[in-house]
Amino acid sequence: MRLPVFAPFQFNALERRDLSEFLQHLLNAVILGGTYALLGIGLTLIFGIMRVVNFTHGELYAFGAYCMYALVMRLGVNFYLSLLLAMALGALLGAFIELVLLSRLRRADIDTTMLVMIGAWIIMQNTEQWIWSGVALSVKNPFPANPLVFGPASVSWLRVYVFVVALLLIAGTYLLINRTKLGKAMRATFQDPDTAALMGVRIGRINTATFAIGSSLAAAAGALLGPVFVVQPAMGDLAAAKAFAVVILGGLGSVPGATVGGFILAFAEELGAGYISSGYRDAMGFVLIILILLIRPTGLFARKERIG
Amino acid sequence: MRFIPWLLVAALASVPLWMTDYYYLHVLIVTGIFIIAAMSLNLLLGYTGQLSLGHVAFFGIGAYTSALISLGFKVHIAPDTVVGLSPKPVWFAMLCAVFVTGIVGYGIGKLSFRVRGAYFVIVSLSFVSVVQLIALNWVELTQGAMALNSIPPLTLGFGEYTISFLRKPQFFYLMLSAAVLSYIIIARLVNSRAGRAMIALRENESLATSLGIDVTRYLVLATVVSAAIAGLAGALYTHYIRIVDPNIFLFIYTVTMIIMVVTGGKGTLAGPIVGGVVFGVVPEVLRAMKIAPEMQWIVYGVLMIAIVYFLPQGIVPAVRRAFASHRSVFAGSSTLIEKAEEQ
Amino acid sequence: MRKLLGLLAGTVFFVGGAATGAGAQDTIKIGVTQPLTGAFAASGNYVAQGTRIAEEEINNAGGVLGKKIQLIIEDNKSNPTEAVTTVEKLIEKDKVPLLIGAWSSTLTLAVMPKLEEYKVPMIVETSSSGKITRSGNPYVFRISPTSEMEATAFKPIAKHMGIKKAAFLYTNNDFGIGSADEYGKMLKANGVEIGPRETMDPAATDFSAQLAKIKASGADTVFVTTAVEQLTLILKQAKEQQLKARIVSCGGSNSPDQVIAQAGAAAEGSYHTTFFPPWFPEVTTNPEVSKRYMAGWKKHGFNVGGLTEGYRGYDAVYVAVAAIKAAGKPDAEAIRKALWGVHVKGVYGDIHFIKQGPAGKESGQNVPTVYLVEVKNGKVQKPQF
Repeated sequence: MRLPVFAPFQFNALERRDLSEFLQHLLNAVILGGTYALLGIGLTLIFGIMRVVNFTHGELYAFGAYCMYALVMRLGVNFYLSLLLAMALGALLGAFIELVLLSRLRRADIDTTMLVMIGAWIIMQNTEQWIWSGVALSVKNPFPANPLVFGPASVSWLRVYVFVVALLLIAGTYLLINRTKLGKAMRATFQDPDTAALMGVRIGRINTATFAIGSSLAAAAGALLGPVFVVQPAMGDLAAAKAFAVVILGGLGSVPGATVGGFILAFAEELGAGYISSGYRDAMGFVLIILILLIRPTGLFARKERIG
Repeated sequence: MRFIPWLLVAALASVPLWMTDYYYLHVLIVTGIFIIAAMSLNLLLGYTGQLSLGHVAFFGIGAYTSALISLGFKVHIAPDTVVGLSPKPVWFAMLCAVFVTGIVGYGIGKLSFRVRGAYFVIVSLSFVSVVQLIALNWVELTQGAMALNSIPPLTLGFGEYTISFLRKPQFFYLMLSAAVLSYIIIARLVNSRAGRAMIALRENESLATSLGIDVTRYLVLATVVSAAIAGLAGALYTHYIRIVDPNIFLFIYTVTMIIMVVTGGKGTLAGPIVGGVVFGVVPEVLRAMKIAPEMQWIVYGVLMIAIVYFLPQGIVPAVRRAFASHRSVFAGSSTLIEKAEEQ
Repeated sequence: MRKLLGLLAGTVFFVGGAATGAGAQDTIKIGVTQPLTGAFAASGNYVAQGTRIAEEEINNAGGVLGKKIQLIIEDNKSNPTEAVTTVEKLIEKDKVPLLIGAWSSTLTLAVMPKLEEYKVPMIVETSSSGKITRSGNPYVFRISPTSEMEATAFKPIAKHMGIKKAAFLYTNNDFGIGSADEYGKMLKANGVEIGPRETMDPAATDFSAQLAKIKASGADTVFVTTAVEQLTLILKQAKEQQLKARIVSCGGSNSPDQVIAQAGAAAEGSYHTTFFPPWFPEVTTNPEVSKRYMAGWKKHGFNVGGLTEGYRGYDAVYVAVAAIKAAGKPDAEAIRKALWGVHVKGVYGDIHFIKQGPAGKESGQNVPTVYLVEVKNGKVQKPQF
């Protein structure tokens, strides 16, 4: 098959590639998928449930990474403890943003709140550059430098750790939403705020809590991936773009959806770059979004009535 | 009130006569080009209520189309089949840009209005990303990141009666004419039957549908007009800056347009102009204040939030309301007056 | 509507008022446009810091033509439209007779039509795209090497390294594409088999798919062209995937010190081309200049990782001052003519301009020295073949 419009596309014959490369791609996709899922679940709470087009998500991710850098590299705090501290600080910052910027705009249009979030995004990113300069920073980790080897494929210990913690956080979030009183109140609030208020749910607090939890998850993703990648002011932009893709792929407001969406995006990118063209690697997610929304406008997992 | 816009146009037309510093003229030209794009976005965002984060795609497609037709190109559409075009006059290229973006707008409108709200936001964002990646990777046509440069400026006329729009005063008038034309088209459209149908849609889609308004048809109409005007803005940009590369699809350009529309007042004809002037001039004022570059951005962000926070409807409706409450004894029913004025 | 008119008039006057500050000509102004915020902020700030060191040194030595020089550094926000605006401002409002900029090739290409329009020359300090000096713009004078020059300089080294099959991994921008093209051409002409050519988004952080493909191709050397942040990640991820191929980073924006600090053991055995090796200033063409620059950098307490970027701005200012001196007056056309005659002892080597591009409208191009260094035992070393 050859698409004439896209001259640079090259479909390499699959059989020519050997199995070991394919295995490595699969392993990469699984590890990357965990990362994307983690980025997605924080956003699915805020964008999916609260309907705030949250452009600060990427900056909270960067905030988590900078917290990790400051704690581990500057203050010498324990690596694992730093993750928890970064999450706590992320939650605080999230609550602050919600209380200061969003609480008054709760009934405003989607574009009004979006513009406020864009403003916050510009402020946060440039504050990061102001404090830390634009130079990339790196965070040391306690894991062995040699990778974990599975036959012809291999993966670093650090990324396995990130993957496991990501799955734990996803499971925790799922339980929080579906098995706790707070989760119930959250779901009620965003399905029907007026009825929820009548039933005694304190809407304001639920909004703040939801935004804080989503922010904490974004900070967790940053704190986990900061040591994997490098820490720099613009790091949040790409993370936010991936997170939006994951949330839409999975359907707004669905934690299992975001999880599956994360893995779909990772597989599409990894195999697309491996077997089609690496130039279009970052387009794969967007092409998928367009295709999926045309076929099934609510995303893969959301129920019909959720449609905006 | 009717003649005031024309006074404003006349005042603006006098600018190149007394503004001898080309830097300010340049800032006004670039701001003007983005105001045209913002006006077209306002048609979608303000009048149909669809928040498109993909508007810069139309702007960029217009820029690329006009650049490619004025420069000429050659591409392989199949391994042995070459399609090419010799360089065409710039005015023709600009017209083509308007048509091509209009057609793209039609296709996108048909497809993307199957979804609404937050989904539409992301589909429009995805659309830009895909277009940008094609511009980046289809090197044979667009030269990818190596950029199309040496794009010719617009010239009109024959022989010794030729005007070149290379210099800033001439280009300023070109931009101003395009802006006035776009304004008139948009004003005519929103005050027509179709425009009222769009507003009905924005206010209550299910009610509008039950009244027999063909939702998709009006949304597509709005998208086509909006895309074509954005394409015109892109074509102006490309023959002014005279280089185009995939950076034309930068997200910050979409953000700039949205800021202009929302702070000025979406759904008002003057909104994008007022918002555009404010946010076109603010970065240069900040630059003149000689503060740290990061700080300039931070102030910009704070100003943006402050405007939205204190004037959630935008500057124009707020000013209007202030006027209305001064003049009218029915100070309490200012929204009524606002509605009346919009008609 | 009346308020709208008032608002408009108010802003214009406000801006107009700000303009009157730039009047007295007791200094000679040089305009600098660099990306100080946005995607290229890290490198742009290093180059700007380099220009500041040169400005201070020159003014301490009495300036030029009996006047002090004054750099006006504007932020082009890593955005071509803003780059044009900064140039308009520097030329029209600050009346600079000479510019330095604009870091990336795209930013430089964007401002080039303005140089012709205002007839003001610009010293290009970083950009590598061949298009810049081949477009027939006589106001462009580039002190940085093109990708082609770098690849040509690499030719004898490629033989020594015994490269059989080469793969490429590069950012999908003018810098990466230009480098991969030129190195590919050079290697192919020397009988090296060309393996996969993989691209990456300039903002990407995960290259696992590209690396897996390169690993499977059996290439023995990977030529990587990108900025230092991605290079660090590529080295780390290549180690994670047990990629045995040798990694050579091209393009000179690779800051090996930062790579060693951040990639640690993963940087071991990698090679880097650079246009200035601060680890052994004695091998450079003008060791005393290199040492003076490094001392200035140290005195200001700038980040050591930026030494391999900052010299670009440092040299550009010295070239600018030499041209102003030769011209005898701060006049754009006189400076443009004088630039053809300058010979400056710089960190880039002995800087002078040769003609490139269409006859009659040639741009100036310097031919700098290219160095290859190796990371061995956690230190930057001269490679032994």
